[in-house]
Amino acid sequence: MLRIRNATVTFEGHDGRQVHALDRVDLDIEEGAFVVALGASGCGKSTLLNTIAGFLPLSDGSITLNGREIDGPGADRGVVFQKDTLLPWASIIDNVALGLRFAGIPKRARRERARELLGLVGLADFAESHPHELSGGMRQRVGIARALATEPDILLMDEPFGALDSLTREQMQELLVSVWHRTGKRIFFITHSIEEALFLGTRLIVMSPRPGRVVARYELDFVKRYVETGDVRGIHLDPAFAALREEIRQILHSDHHQGIAA
Amino acid sequence: MTTLELDRHDPDVRPARRARAAVVRMRGLGMSGRPTLAISVVTAGAILAAWWAATALQLTPSLFLPRPSEVIHQFVLVYKNGYAGASLGAHIGASLLRIGTASLLAIATAIPIGLAMGLNRWVKGILDTPIEFYWPLPPLAYLPLMIIWLGIGEASKIALLFLAMFAPICLSAQAGVRSVSLERANAARALGASRWQLFLHIVLPSALPEILTGIRIAFGVGWSTLVAAELIASTRGIGYLIMSAAQFLATDVVFVGIAIISLCAFGFGLAVRLAERWLVPWKGRD
Ligand SMILES: Nc1ncnc2c1ncn2[C@@H]1O[C@H](COP(=O)(O)OP(=O)(O)OP(=O)(O)O)[C@@H](O)[C@H]1O
Ligand SMILES: [Mg+2]
Repeated sequence: MLRIRNATVTFEGHDGRQVHALDRVDLDIEEGAFVVALGASGCGKSTLLNTIAGFLPLSDGSITLNGREIDGPGADRGVVFQKDTLLPWASIIDNVALGLRFAGIPKRARRERARELLGLVGLADFAESHPHELSGGMRQRVGIARALATEPDILLMDEPFGALDSLTREQMQELLVSVWHRTGKRIFFITHSIEEALFLGTRLIVMSPRPGRVVARYELDFVKRYVETGDVRGIHLDPAFAALREEIRQILHSDHHQGIAA
Repeated sequence: MTTLELDRHDPDVRPARRARAAVVRMRGLGMSGRPTLAISVVTAGAILAAWWAATALQLTPSLFLPRPSEVIHQFVLVYKNGYAGASLGAHIGASLLRIGTASLLAIATAIPIGLAMGLNRWVKGILDTPIEFYWPLPPLAYLPLMIIWLGIGEASKIALLFLAMFAPICLSAQAGVRSVSLERANAARALGASRWQLFLHIVLPSALPEILTGIRIAFGVGWSTLVAAELIASTRGIGYLIMSAAQFLATDVVFVGIAIISLCAFGFGLAVRLAERWLVPWKGRD
């Protein structure tokens, strides 16, 4: 269980004023959950993810994973960024095996495991290529395989598909759901796209800026329906889906206007 | 009909069908790695031709600019008989030994020190002042100090070359560490990298292109300091050969010395570039 209690992050802005990037956020991410965070730019989504990853300490509050306080990055939390962070000097398979190498797993075993994961994300044929030979979507898939290799308890994804075209993005969403379904990993996923959030999440939190807070929570079952039926169109055309989309758009728009007025 | 019109090609603008599709690559910035060898060879030829023409037309007295044939003749003489009390091989060997020793010392110390300065506040704070203070100084300015402190033997010459070559490598290693993106480092940390693994697998390879550039610059600085170093009570060395020839106004021998230095410098530069191609083939692609 990942338990976030009263998480607060205060930055010092460049003019010396305090920025409340995160204000008393509570969130639980249980086994198998797919939690999506949505919100206007600057509402603290990346800040929240960075504290879970251990890149950023909390000003106040606590985050525990399976009862242990988080006090730095670790292989029990896999991270995928918007911009891929693959190593340009290493082949794709060595990139995927990087975390296993850090863990001291022998070469043969880690390559075997990396090969399996490349198969899972549909890139078995590119094992010996180098990152610059792959498209953006393919590199993001390598990033996912790499994050999964160390068998983390949770996958943290910060707008991983933000830079992809809509068709690739849909394919990546379906791929991610199948990875989630097959591995049973819990996922914390940040996005700007309402549709992506509704389609992927079992739970959705909507955040609002200044101070960064969770202003709405939804339990969703579209993704479970997709796993059962595989019917993407049907889900997107569902009136319940459209109604939620409008409701959330309302929330985000009111933030946006406040932001402009401020 | 519209569709028909869209389908109809003007035969004049139809692209010629190629026998085989061409293999293409990304257009980069500037020359982006396209070969320049032919251009360079032609330029070198043009310079030689201009030299030859200027002397053949006797535009300048031979003392100012000897004829190419005179230089070649002198080269053969120096090669056969030696010059200023030593064989040509001994002169070249002495210079190569000095610059080789100094560069090995500089590489072995400047890379770890530069990396440490890039990674650690204390190391940076302590070493920044002396390095920033000495490195802009012209080597000729602290040459007397080297002689006073280290005598007139090999030590002062090698120390002078070492100091000149140390700074560019050290500064480039620091810049290499700064070039590691926080995201790349964080991604590695989230994959379980220890501090040492982070250094070995992320920082070092990320800094390598900068370091190699620094080594290339260091060799350039080293060769240009060599003549100054060999001003100190030498009996052999290419720099010494040039200085001796200058005293007798033997312009053609000066040219021989210059040609040898530039050939050696070219060889070292080529070696570093080959090392770059081998060590960092991914340079500029991340
Ligand atoms: N290192 C920092 N120093 C100072 N302020 C920061 C820092 N990082 C983030 N902030 C501020 O904290 C707030 C939240 O930033 P955060 O990056 O979490 O937003 P976000 O929700 O991820 O936005 P986006 O959707 O644009 O990525 C912003 O107001 C930002 O200016
Ligand atoms: Mg963000």
